[in-house]
Amino acid sequence: MTPVAVPYSAVPLALLLLACDPAPDRAAPEAVRGEAPAFTAQPPVLRRLTYAQYQSTVAALFGEGLVIPAELEPDTRVSGLYAVGASVTSISSLGVERYEADAFDIAEQVLADESRRSALVPCTPASTIDSDCARAVLADLGPRAWRRPLESDELDRLVGIADTAAATLDDFDQGLAYALAALLQSPHFLFRPEPGEDDPERPGERRYTAYEMASRLSYFLWNTMPDAELFAAAADGSLLTTEGLAAQVDRLLADERAREGMAAFITDTWMLSDLDDLTKDPAIYTYMSDGLGASARQQTLLDAEAIVFDDDGDFRSILTTRATHLDRTLAALYDVPAPAREGFGATTLPESGGRRGLLGQVSFLALQSHATSTSVTRRGIFVREVLLCQALPSPPAGLNTSIPETTEETPTMRDRVAQHLEDPSCAACHNYMDPIGLGFENFDGIGRWRTTENEVEIDASGDLDGVDFDDAWALSAAIADHSAFAPCVNKTLYAYAQGRVGGEGEDDIVDWHAEGFAVEDYRLKFLLRDIATGQAFRTAGVAE
Amino acid sequence: MKRIAIPRRRFLRGFFQGSAVFVGLPLFDYLLDGNGAALACGGAIPRRFGLFFWGNGNRPDQWTPASDGADYALTEELAPLVNVKSKICVVSGLAVKVDNVVPHLSGAAGLLSGYDLVSSDGNDTMGAATIDQIIAAEIGADTLYASIQTAATNCSGMSYNGPNSRNPPETDPYTLYEKLFGPTFREPGEEGVVDPTLGLRRSVLDSVMGDIATLQSKLGAADKARLDQHLTGVRELEERLAKLEEDPPSLESCARPDSEPEASYPDEDGRPQISARSRAMVDMLAMAMACDQTRVFGHYLTDPVSNPLFPGASAGHHNLTHDEPGEQPEVHAITVQIMEEFAYLLEKFDSIPEADGTLLDNCAILGTTEVSLGQTHDITEIPVVIGGSACGTIQTGLHYRSYTADNASKLMLTLMRSMDILATGFGDPASEAYSEDSLTEIEA
Repeated sequence: MTPVAVPYSAVPLALLLLACDPAPDRAAPEAVRGEAPAFTAQPPVLRRLTYAQYQSTVAALFGEGLVIPAELEPDTRVSGLYAVGASVTSISSLGVERYEADAFDIAEQVLADESRRSALVPCTPASTIDSDCARAVLADLGPRAWRRPLESDELDRLVGIADTAAATLDDFDQGLAYALAALLQSPHFLFRPEPGEDDPERPGERRYTAYEMASRLSYFLWNTMPDAELFAAAADGSLLTTEGLAAQVDRLLADERAREGMAAFITDTWMLSDLDDLTKDPAIYTYMSDGLGASARQQTLLDAEAIVFDDDGDFRSILTTRATHLDRTLAALYDVPAPAREGFGATTLPESGGRRGLLGQVSFLALQSHATSTSVTRRGIFVREVLLCQALPSPPAGLNTSIPETTEETPTMRDRVAQHLEDPSCAACHNYMDPIGLGFENFDGIGRWRTTENEVEIDASGDLDGVDFDDAWALSAAIADHSAFAPCVNKTLYAYAQGRVGGEGEDDIVDWHAEGFAVEDYRLKFLLRDIATGQAFRTAGVAE
Repeated sequence: MKRIAIPRRRFLRGFFQGSAVFVGLPLFDYLLDGNGAALACGGAIPRRFGLFFWGNGNRPDQWTPASDGADYALTEELAPLVNVKSKICVVSGLAVKVDNVVPHLSGAAGLLSGYDLVSSDGNDTMGAATIDQIIAAEIGADTLYASIQTAATNCSGMSYNGPNSRNPPETDPYTLYEKLFGPTFREPGEEGVVDPTLGLRRSVLDSVMGDIATLQSKLGAADKARLDQHLTGVRELEERLAKLEEDPPSLESCARPDSEPEASYPDEDGRPQISARSRAMVDMLAMAMACDQTRVFGHYLTDPVSNPLFPGASAGHHNLTHDEPGEQPEVHAITVQIMEEFAYLLEKFDSIPEADGTLLDNCAILGTTEVSLGQTHDITEIPVVIGGSACGTIQTGLHYRSYTADNASKLMLTLMRSMDILATGFGDPASEAYSEDSLTEIEA
């Protein structure tokens, strides 16, 4: 491909700042980080709707409350994110079958429900076959479902499907159902094509089209399809202007749906959907229950929401805060009073306890453990790879990976790991992860606090890249302060927004966003806005 | 993800008014030659291929029979297969000849595709189609499904048509039942109705195929290829709907299962119901084969690296393979349980009469896993049991041991040839895993 270098002088960022809302006592980020650097525009990606996006998009089209079958084409993680995997997965034969069955299922539910139907069908069909009425329905629904205006032949074809089916089945609504099913099975619905167009204002370069930008923004910030206002900004072209874009990004971020969008990012990056399959041996972990995984996810998401939206605070405090949200299940497991009789309530964890932030939650402690024990390795890998974006190699094949048995000489995990790490071929990598995991050994495999293992006191001290810690709380603080943590949040969010990891020639622009994040006191809301309005989010490369 | 049980296709079921009735062929026509004599293998009775897969390997020292040839004794781990001993071929000593870079997954890729695993950005995918899909591409065209993939736990499966083109398994027995024996299913000879919705659904799929072509014209090569896979799936569904308008084949043992499976198999005491779920799946798979709905299946008991708590085990399977010291009695006990499930499958297939033999006789069912000794991720000594002789083309009642670490791809070529597929080789011609020779020692 031809690299498209964007000179920073072409990026009118000063205009963005006018629409921004900087805290009064803070310098504009550009005063510190300078103008955006040049970058190489990357080829566009073709994302398949994730399971969550399929659900949210159907809800946006037809209203909340439809039953979406649980089994669709499975999502795949690439670089740790489903959002990136969406750019490489396709649709299998089984997936085609499921999407077809689900399309008809959804069509039936919509047309069988009078209020949904009347929202969709503005006309009263004059007869079984009423092309005009079918056309009225599809001319409105089609562009929303495919997130762009329809070509006239596309609309004709859909109307034809409705008419033929209505004639065969002798029923207008059943005919319409077939057109709905055609919309919902189409790659124009199931995928998010963004091939881009030549940028008339910057000859030789490409940009995403107005409708592509509308979808890029809404799926990034809301994890669902654009609303009417965003479509309107695409239709009148204002979304392609710097001011118009900033106005829409500010509107999207101010909307309640931005909370859902951020929750989707947190769920993806911290793998919280895996909590659905949380498996623990209840004989060992008596606090295990069916709803525990869902409760744990809710706690993490509520805490993140409070920091990002209610407080617009330092995102790094997600690792250190004592302020949290608990239901009775979690309060019992954490051994603290439940703040609410029903559901979740806000509370503050006791200062004396060792439990703080994400890394004191079931979402991390239980998920990154085994079914019958803790895993210092898994916990360490999570911190290195997910929180610090430090890639670790796979274990080499052909090694004996067994860890020593629990004996009188090795009552604690620290003892057993020490023996394990005597083997230099293990130690080379495990020294990066196991000492971190040992810092969390005061939490058992489901996240209960404990001070001993096999009646021997647990030593949870260690050092993280030169910073000493005595316990899990100090370790969490060290991770929050680690020079790699905030840049990792930025890098992950950038990959999440683009549907791909930063490519060659993008390092500077990614770093530039990280600098802004730091200058703006690590407010995630700033970063969401910074990336969404950034030139790299608007500039398309050439398809390869 | 939790399954929300809703009756699928109830919409379509409501559409049967105004339909015509037609009558199926007389029973057994399919099986008889002109003189009414039952046809044996190679004639009207199709050959079938299956994969029974489990994750995390075994303990070769406890698995491999002490002697080879026809007079070998089953080990404790193979003992569950005793009732079908005369109908299996145990193969030991084969090596997967790709670089063992990513534990477990390199082995799976090398064994099942003969190509190196493709790994980038934490995304591991097969570099080429797997054996089941290579075979399905040749023998799967005439049936409703080119292949059916099922799993007894929440598996991703190991079936690929190419990089990032995975065929995920059905993991829910009830969904599988609806798919195979739902409203569109007819027993041989059962009167059917011409369902007007089938043609309408096909016209919708035509429209989708048009959309795919339109979109492809705007995309780069890699995304075009992804949509090619989508297109293939849509075309297969369209062809399936066309076949539903024809009479089902009249196979003697084809019948609707007596009862529907349970809607779900929730974990019991934190442990998945591996056995119950596997058997429910296997019962339906066997009948799908007997009804000639497909000629290729993949059944995954567990995935590579999966960590389910098996009954009686003190930790997850993958954990135990690495952490259990000494002779690993718990790993051993799990291997026995896995073989009990494989035995259930083989005995089920063997209980279904076909012509003068059984369904199993007309199959080659490859039972295997992605590593040998799970503890070290070794990929020499891959454990293999082939169930069925594929119409007498594979020797059974045999333990064949390779003393020269033969290439596992030779076995894949043998399996392809047992399906009457003319192939010059298996695997990546640029790699050591490639083989143009088959494992003639087990061929009949």
